Amino acid sequence: MTLSPKRLLGGLLLAAVAGFALLAPLHGADPLKQNLSDALLPPGGAYPLGTDHLGRDLLARLAAGARLSFGFALLAAMAAALPGTLLGLLAALHGGWLERLLLGLADAVQALPALLLVVLVTAFAPGDFLPLYLGIALALWVEFFRISRNTAASILARPQVEAARLLGFGTGHILRRHLWPEVAPLIATLFAFAAGTAVTTIAALAFVGVGARPPIPEWGSMMTELLPYYAEAPLALLLPGLLIFLTVLGLHLLAGRGRA
Amino acid sequence: MGTLIRTLGGRAAQAVLVALLVGTACFLMVRVLPGDMAYRIAASRFGYDMVDSAAAEAVRQELGLDRPWFIQLGAWFADLARFDLGTSLASGEEVVDALAVQLGHTLLLSVSALALSLLIGPPLGALAGLRQGGWWDGALLALSAALRAVPAFVIGVALMIWLAVEWEWLPAGGVGGWREVVLPALTLALGLAAASSRVARDAVGAVVASPFFGFARMKGLGDAAAFRRHGVRNAAIPVVAYLGLQLVVLIEGMVVVESLFAWPGIGHALVHAVLGRDIPMVQGTALVMGLLFVTLNALTDLACWLLDPRRRAQ
Amino acid sequence: MSLIVENLRVTGPEGVLVRGASFALQPGQPLVLLGETGSGKSLLAQAVMGALPPGLAAEGRILLDGQDLLALSAKQRRALWGRRIAMLPQEPWAALDPSMRAAAQVEEVDRLVHGRAATEARALTAARLAHLGLEGAGRRYPFQLSGGMNQRVALAATEAAGAGLLIADEPTKGLDAELRDTAGRLLRAEAEAGRMLLVITHDVALARLLGGQAMVMLEGQVVEAGALPALLEAPQHAYTRRLIAAEPAHWAPWPHRGRGRSVVEGKGLFKRLGGQELFSGLDLAIGAGEVVAIAGRSGCGKTTLGNLLLGLTQPDQGTIRRGDGVKPLGLQKLYQDPLAGFAPHQRLGNGLEELQRRHALPADAARRLLPRLRLNPALLARRPSEVSGGELQRFGLLRALLLNPALLFADEATSRLDPLTQQEVMTLLGECVAERGTALLLVTHEMALAEKTAERVVRLPAFSEGKDIPPQALGRPA
Repeated sequence: MTLSPKRLLGGLLLAAVAGFALLAPLHGADPLKQNLSDALLPPGGAYPLGTDHLGRDLLARLAAGARLSFGFALLAAMAAALPGTLLGLLAALHGGWLERLLLGLADAVQALPALLLVVLVTAFAPGDFLPLYLGIALALWVEFFRISRNTAASILARPQVEAARLLGFGTGHILRRHLWPEVAPLIATLFAFAAGTAVTTIAALAFVGVGARPPIPEWGSMMTELLPYYAEAPLALLLPGLLIFLTVLGLHLLAGRGRA
Repeated sequence: MGTLIRTLGGRAAQAVLVALLVGTACFLMVRVLPGDMAYRIAASRFGYDMVDSAAAEAVRQELGLDRPWFIQLGAWFADLARFDLGTSLASGEEVVDALAVQLGHTLLLSVSALALSLLIGPPLGALAGLRQGGWWDGALLALSAALRAVPAFVIGVALMIWLAVEWEWLPAGGVGGWREVVLPALTLALGLAAASSRVARDAVGAVVASPFFGFARMKGLGDAAAFRRHGVRNAAIPVVAYLGLQLVVLIEGMVVVESLFAWPGIGHALVHAVLGRDIPMVQGTALVMGLLFVTLNALTDLACWLLDPRRRAQ
Repeated sequence: MSLIVENLRVTGPEGVLVRGASFALQPGQPLVLLGETGSGKSLLAQAVMGALPPGLAAEGRILLDGQDLLALSAKQRRALWGRRIAMLPQEPWAALDPSMRAAAQVEEVDRLVHGRAATEARALTAARLAHLGLEGAGRRYPFQLSGGMNQRVALAATEAAGAGLLIADEPTKGLDAELRDTAGRLLRAEAEAGRMLLVITHDVALARLLGGQAMVMLEGQVVEAGALPALLEAPQHAYTRRLIAAEPAHWAPWPHRGRGRSVVEGKGLFKRLGGQELFSGLDLAIGAGEVVAIAGRSGCGKTTLGNLLLGLTQPDQGTIRRGDGVKPLGLQKLYQDPLAGFAPHQRLGNGLEELQRRHALPADAARRLLPRLRLNPALLARRPSEVSGGELQRFGLLRALLLNPALLFADEATSRLDPLTQQEVMTLLGECVAERGTALLLVTHEMALAEKTAERVVRLPAFSEGKDIPPQALGRPA
């Protein structure tokens, strides 16, 4: 990956949100502790960012939400990228029945829109994190698989690989010198996009109620909870949305080029 | 013609795959849910206080839950093949009847959203593509990058607060005349337009820089005539092809946006069914959404085929 | 009607690109601009057209029928396009709208430029296409037409526009010899019909075919001008002489080396590709130290035949047998696009070191070969895209020679290079295989090149010309 101003900006945005997530606990408030007499306070005093409708500290809740989103997005993207990329390279190198089988599997997964697939998987145990996580990984691995397989297959068909084989080089050399230098940047880009998709997906599912559930501090479910109180505490509704935006924007900018 | 038949055949296979996937998932769902299934279903139907073992036994008999699993799976798919989707556990209504009503709403919303996004995105993108590197190109780039980083439900909340609650221009939810469609459709359309404007921008830029566009001008055609004759169709081909990819975004957005605006469509019903563990409804709604996705994709294929002679000739 | 160019200069951010060119053009007398890539000949044409890339500016005078074009505004110059000046595109298959039928692309000129009625435009178009031998092609799309047919459609469109001045920029790029001759004759007919014709090319054969006047350009400068064919028969400037000598027809024939024991042998070869039969019942054996050429039009299966002998593809019928003691590593290949044969991200030196380690060669094996191939050691630190095509092709040769092959297969290895570079690389290639007794298999669409270099020429018929003709192994003319 080359460092462009866009990527730098994306990295800074992510670093800012991550810094917020890690430094906020120093403030010491409990994201779950309710104090009904302090409900919907504006920022100031003991609550740097104010409180929600149950009198919980918003700073602590937002930071906890950030840790949840980051950790989740990273794990889900990894769980999709690793098998997706390896299977993609394997399919391209092996060819034949294995490639056809994996392509068929990818087709089957993509027959349904990703979110629908995730919702179906979460329906097994609404509110649980494991199905959510599995569902997102299940939906996202296909893109890693397709990108790595298609890129690798097109490189393998090029004369440069034929030349390497004629010169007596083996599969390890071709993987290292010909495939990986071109596949890796694409995977890195896709990884950032996939992490962005994961952040949006858990927020959206929590927002409609089939993902993380109250009182877990999650950005999407915080917005659902605070929507009725937006007139009294507009900032409380704005902040989780803003954090989602900054995180996803940071990831997209870091990804660099647009999705092909 | 051969390519079209092959493509549509592929879509038909995809539709069957959707049915198998959704059917299997829902069948599994029924079996892995904890506790006695018949008892739970009876409880969801009559309420926890009203359930006794007689009611549970009735449910067991009715659903054939005492047969071996493979017989049950076979029966499950046989029902599916006949489009017998059972009755909602929550309301007792025939699932097919409920779906018919919801599908109408969802179609209205999705078609409005797609139309709106095509009115907003590609024209703005085309303007940027004609003057790449200009101020409008830069502004649109920033705008679309920002919009693509905002999830549909956040756009929806913002529009709802501004347009419906603060300025009271439009109703915040429900269903009725055209005014109710505008907000959810606009929410979906903005996200779609953010992406399609970039595709249109790149496509128009590529066409304008292409040797065939240059040759059209050298033949003596004016800029407007050259763009009308050689620009529009060639730039539309990638935009329409991209529409196929965007359908995923549309269907996904439907689930969230319908819930937000209380729009009584399939997506809204799906979320309700998942929350209520109303598995026949989960199956029905997921199935219809999946099939809608496949159908819209098939229509996109058809449009590409009509637009691009290279596809027709293959 | 006349075009007079006086002291035309083109300048860009990097300095002067065309230094003071002057010439006059009359109807019926083609003017050919000869030069290699980067000589500024295309810029000169673009300056006349008024289509210079952004950032470049033209000075001097360009008088079209007495009117100075450089004094006009950009908009006024645009108004001349098609009506007064027309430019035939470099690659016609890319210059036609892929989603519009051929006839419509000609017809629209009559309708939109000249404001003719639809029926009249249709009739005119049909006549124009028929005149160029394109009956029935009008209903088809560009991708359904051959390169030569696309070029004629583009020509019909410029004829419809009716400009008195026609500029053709590299009109034979990518065409094989036969199509090149057809294109040349068509262009000459345009001049004979009373148009002014300016042709830009690096192809000396095309210049000879066109006749008229010629100018030779080198590094932005016109080094020689004169009438054809006299200029080509008695060139004054050293560069012109080298350019002419670089034509394969003028090469000195390579010495015969005789034929040793068999290196590779194909028997009864039959191969289909994309539903087309390429060849059947073909026998071809290559002996040690021999130079064999496979010649034929593009798409006739030349490369496939070479790949069969190297074991890169399998024949549908027939057998390939390597000679005794010839290992798979003993068969090596040079590629048409030199870039295509290298890993794009690896420095050339690193790639060679890896090859030496792989086969336990001495660590300085590649370095010792560099001077023989006239390669600067500094190039080892570069990546393949950072050296010229000629240099990269020589690196490809060096890499193959390291393995001391019994047979080297050069697949159109010089067809993408400029004529002088082509000659240089081919000469080195011939010397190196001769020194080592390596057999050489050349694939080329240039008959002259095949005849000058090979001891035997295998001609493959294009499948479009009738598949009944058996491939003939021809003796080299004495």
